[in-house]
Amino acid sequence: MSVLTPEALFEELSNAVVEMDEERVITGSEAALAADIDAYDAIQQGLSHGMERAGQLFEDEEYFIPELLMCSDAMYAGLEVLKPHLKRTTESRGTVVIGVIEGDTHDIGKNMVRIMLESGGFKVIDLGRDVTPQRFVDTARESKADIIALSTLMTTTMDGMGTVVRLLEEADLRGGVKVMVGGGPISTGFAKRIGADGYAVNAAEAVKVARELVGNA
Amino acid sequence: MAGVGMTSLERFAAYGRGDAIDRLPCVPIVGNGAARVIGAKISHFRGNGRLIAEAQTAAYRRFGYDVIRVFTDLYTLAEAMGAGVHYPEDETAYLSVPAIPSVENISRLQPVTPERDGNLPSHLEAMQRVIAEVGSEVPVTGAVTCPFTTASFLIGAENLARLILKNPAAVHQLCEVALESAIRYAAAIMATGCTPSLTDPMSSSTVIGPRQFREFSLPYLKRLITFIHDQGRSVTLHICGKTDKIWHDMVDAGAGCLSIDNDASLAGAVATVGGRVRLMGNIHPSEIMLQGAPADVRRAVFNCISQAGTSPKGYIVASGCSLPTETPAANIQAMMDAVREIGWPLKPEVLSGGIL
Repeated sequence: MSVLTPEALFEELSNAVVEMDEERVITGSEAALAADIDAYDAIQQGLSHGMERAGQLFEDEEYFIPELLMCSDAMYAGLEVLKPHLKRTTESRGTVVIGVIEGDTHDIGKNMVRIMLESGGFKVIDLGRDVTPQRFVDTARESKADIIALSTLMTTTMDGMGTVVRLLEEADLRGGVKVMVGGGPISTGFAKRIGADGYAVNAAEAVKVARELVGNA
Repeated sequence: MAGVGMTSLERFAAYGRGDAIDRLPCVPIVGNGAARVIGAKISHFRGNGRLIAEAQTAAYRRFGYDVIRVFTDLYTLAEAMGAGVHYPEDETAYLSVPAIPSVENISRLQPVTPERDGNLPSHLEAMQRVIAEVGSEVPVTGAVTCPFTTASFLIGAENLARLILKNPAAVHQLCEVALESAIRYAAAIMATGCTPSLTDPMSSSTVIGPRQFREFSLPYLKRLITFIHDQGRSVTLHICGKTDKIWHDMVDAGAGCLSIDNDASLAGAVATVGGRVRLMGNIHPSEIMLQGAPADVRRAVFNCISQAGTSPKGYIVASGCSLPTETPAANIQAMMDAVREIGWPLKPEVLSGGIL
């Protein structure tokens, strides 16, 4: 390992994430540290790069939820090795408050989105599942979040998404906080109707949407 | 409405023979929304077969649709096997804790005794009561959650997803015990005179890949459906989300009717498996039925019939999935009205989509 160039190490980390190989990610991350490679670069060009490829495979329907979960397990294993060695607090692309709206506890889709957003450079505050609209708004205010990301799998809970938008307006926060929505029953049309800023059909697309939203902010 | 013209049973029988009918069968899949028809709270359905039956019968009588499905939530089997289910006051119940925390506890899982465990007895009572009330005029089904989906509730969806890659044998063990529960429950359902109606959301290609479906879900679906067939019943199979790559597998499993979600293409299903199996679907439950106006519902009905009205093995106008509880009654009514307006035989301008 020690003879590898930084580029080769990054590639190895990226490949190991895509191939869901936790052991190899850990070995590769340790090798990167031993070779004095900046932990930030190893995360960005190795782990996140691999996760982005995994997301693409998911979009292409080569990978499904099981593979994406295992890739993220591998990525997080590498992060645990590398994070303590970060020299500076890395600049995040923005802060996202994420959660599953009240009345729904299906969080597998939300977790996928969280994983992709984190590996895509966002700071993510995960409120979990069955979250009231008010809590999304309060947390966004306290954390000065750029985005609230709402997920639901159940048609019964979709109204709560519109409530979040309305509460943001009432709290005069609507200017600074973008709202993105996703989940099984959600569509672009629905997103528009409730006044959301973005809609993503899946976790990989969610990162692109989030980047666009903060870019335009 | 029920009782005007043909009964639903007469309509299905004539449609199956290729005889004249008054209109296509139509099934807005009313679940807990039935509570709204009688002004009940959803949590009151818990353990109350009499109330479920009253609500489902009243909803059927109000709208005159063609299948009654006794269903409150997906967790009845998992709950009867030890999973924790939370019951909000007036919303659909949800899974709060899987039955077991990890694979080490799989041996703890026992298949259900339907007459005893969880809410299964009250659901069976509901089926008996609905059959006694209206079983001579309309098909009555009882929802059965399929093995792979129940397995995900037994150990948690993410756990199960990881096990697919890490410990396939454990997934098979979980599906095996979930299958045994489903078979026992299906037998009890058929003993009431009802037909099992199968639902398997976690088998969606939105969650697992077609290859994973074939390895971990399909074998158990096949065995469940074979068991039901052996009792002389035909079965409807619903899988949510994307399913186009597994349609042929769903038919191979033995389903007599595929229920197509709005995430999949109805026209695509007609072209791919319409020659092998009856289809139902796929009006959008939230965008059209919950949030649309009656005019949107009417347009969606015309659109679906133009796609699938002449599907070789038949077509049932239906919502793509269970309707949201708060779906306006006016929209369910609009769905029935549109199907009645179109009538039978289907006119060329309806099939060409020209009427839109």
